[in-house]
Amino acid sequence: MMQEGELGKTYSDGEVIFHEGDTAEVMYVIQSGKVRIAKKAASGNVTIATLQSGDIFGEMALFDRLPRSATVISEGDARVLSIDKKKLFATISRDPTLVFKILESMSQRIRRLNEELTKFKKSRLDVLTASMDVDGACNLILDEAKNLVHADNGSIMLFDENDKTLSIRAAFGVESGEKVKFCAGEGIAGDVIKTGNAELANNVMLDSRFKKGEMHIQSLLCVPLRYDVHDLGVMNMSITSDRLFTLDDLKLLNSLSVYAAMAIHNARNLSTLKSAAERVLMHATLLDV
Amino acid sequence: MMHSVSESADPDVLNDGAKIAVIGGGPSGSFFSIFALKMARMLGKELNVTIFEPKDFTKDGPGGCNRCGGIISELLVQTLAVEGINLPDSVVRKGINSYKLHTNEGSVFIATPHFEKTIATVYRGGGPKGMMAGEKESFDNFLLRQAVKEGAVHKPLRIDGITYRNKKPVPLSRNSEIMEADLVVGAFGVNSTAGTLIESMGFGYEEPLTVTTAIAELHMSEQVVAQYFGNSIHLFLLPDKGLKFAAMIPKGAYVTLCILGSEIHGRTVDDFLDKPVVKVVLPKSDPYKLECRCLPKMNVGAPKIAFSDRVVMCGDAGSTRLFKDGLGAAYLMGKAIAKTVVFHGVGRQHLKGSYKPVYRSILIDNYFGRVLYAVTDILRKNSVFTKGMLEVIQREQEGVAGHVVLSSILWDMFTGNERYRNIFPKALDVRMNLHLLKEIAKAMVKAA
Repeated sequence: MMQEGELGKTYSDGEVIFHEGDTAEVMYVIQSGKVRIAKKAASGNVTIATLQSGDIFGEMALFDRLPRSATVISEGDARVLSIDKKKLFATISRDPTLVFKILESMSQRIRRLNEELTKFKKSRLDVLTASMDVDGACNLILDEAKNLVHADNGSIMLFDENDKTLSIRAAFGVESGEKVKFCAGEGIAGDVIKTGNAELANNVMLDSRFKKGEMHIQSLLCVPLRYDVHDLGVMNMSITSDRLFTLDDLKLLNSLSVYAAMAIHNARNLSTLKSAAERVLMHATLLDV
Repeated sequence: MMHSVSESADPDVLNDGAKIAVIGGGPSGSFFSIFALKMARMLGKELNVTIFEPKDFTKDGPGGCNRCGGIISELLVQTLAVEGINLPDSVVRKGINSYKLHTNEGSVFIATPHFEKTIATVYRGGGPKGMMAGEKESFDNFLLRQAVKEGAVHKPLRIDGITYRNKKPVPLSRNSEIMEADLVVGAFGVNSTAGTLIESMGFGYEEPLTVTTAIAELHMSEQVVAQYFGNSIHLFLLPDKGLKFAAMIPKGAYVTLCILGSEIHGRTVDDFLDKPVVKVVLPKSDPYKLECRCLPKMNVGAPKIAFSDRVVMCGDAGSTRLFKDGLGAAYLMGKAIAKTVVFHGVGRQHLKGSYKPVYRSILIDNYFGRVLYAVTDILRKNSVFTKGMLEVIQREQEGVAGHVVLSSILWDMFTGNERYRNIFPKALDVRMNLHLLKEIAKAMVKAA
């Protein structure tokens, strides 16, 4: 129940205050309760922040005049006071120091984002450069890929320099049961390894390069795994339903491929080093006899 | 903690550790203190601000009351929120989302966009007896606490003299020197006796021109107030000579009645409450009690000289907005002085260059306000004009007019949402004026 001394407007739990992409005419100050800041992602809305009483939100769009960069949702009952853009700017023009608090709020937000980004990068690098074998690295990379891109199936195919073929080293979904090999230039995967270009095929049946298998695929992402000048393989993600991948999905997967290639390269080097060490150890043992 | 702050060679610049005496702990004094301390800290300086206020704003009844209508405009509510000063529910007596305009010719309702509660009613001091029960807090006490939180020191001393030593002002209390100040800020109102202190400093300050107003507190139950007043302030524009306007402002279980005009006297409240148009607004079966009343002064002018070296006025005893938004003016002036003394200095030349333009902007704005109130006087004194005005507002509120101008003018005038100079151009709107003339003509024909 609205109390006598309450200012602003009350939103009920789960009620959207504004959507990502909306035009912006007001900013808000939370008078009581909390709101959740969410971004659109392939897996749905992802919460990026929770704000509480006294916090300002929605101010970015007023200053950069771009659409809302996120959706804001009431978390529990939240009461917010709207600040009209025109009146705010008129007041700022008379008293520029009014922006001190807004700048402070934005500055603190940037600091928090920088800290979180640093943690994210460190965590990601730690994971991708961890000491493990090639298959383990491939499986870990796929786990990361699944977090970034929502797909029904996925695989990592590595290129064998000896017989010039791509073969699956890690997979999830239906692909996990497939025994597939491609030559360079054969199929979409083979084409990607040959050209080095990432591919988004949203109707693979119409793509003349596609090699039809037992599995029905509607949409396919395929990105090269290259480290320095070495073609290590490709990473595939596919959808069997009517849903389609987007360019953002392709960008995300392509970004991950940089770290993935690094991890696979390190894993291979580690594997080679282990083999050499074992041979040296065995030789030393024989000499002692 | 030791930190490095460069000392200015200019003797009129505030250095780290400078002492400031604020005479008066009302909103203007608190606003000044809050912003001065914040801004100085941004520059790496720590100021020693002492607020002298003998009144206890936590007490209800006459001893703690600051005798004010207690409306915080939409613009000020929003501005304070942006400043990080959010009014707690314990301070806000009622969130307001509309006005109801009453005249002898009828009434009309004017609402905020989206019915959002953007205007706050508060008690400046403790309010009438019994008001401070429970978790309630006065606005003045809330602001004073914010100032103390920022680092100000509150001393409940009455300053009854100011002298000089080494060209610096020295406040006195009961003939004892309190401190040697780098700056004295006069942050009191026209109902205070402190004005004579500043006059005696001899730099030419004179207390501003005032008029008498009438304020009364009507006590009902919260349910009755909610039923009869809702979330609206009730505004009365009546044809009575000497009665510019009146407002009934809901505050929980009380309604504050404010009457402004040129002929306010001891019987004004009683006469007003006996008017039929007023009785219609008040509950019939549920009686109300006239809890208290007073006849405070209101500033309608401004001293020609409001500052000198190391002394400056920023309360009601300086300049304030005409007839409305006194709290908005307190914020504006308090912050302007804070900016001036922190970023520039405390000398007369600094205040002249940085504070005086803001001070004068209020005075100039009030000239526009006088013209606007003169127009509303014309509209309220003649029944035909009143009918025409009501018809225009009604059509605007119903959306028939296609644009909202007269409603916006009255809203901004009485809410304090806009400066008078920004309202004035709206009053020249050709389409609105033609519409008004048309409705007045219709009313004339009907009256004939």
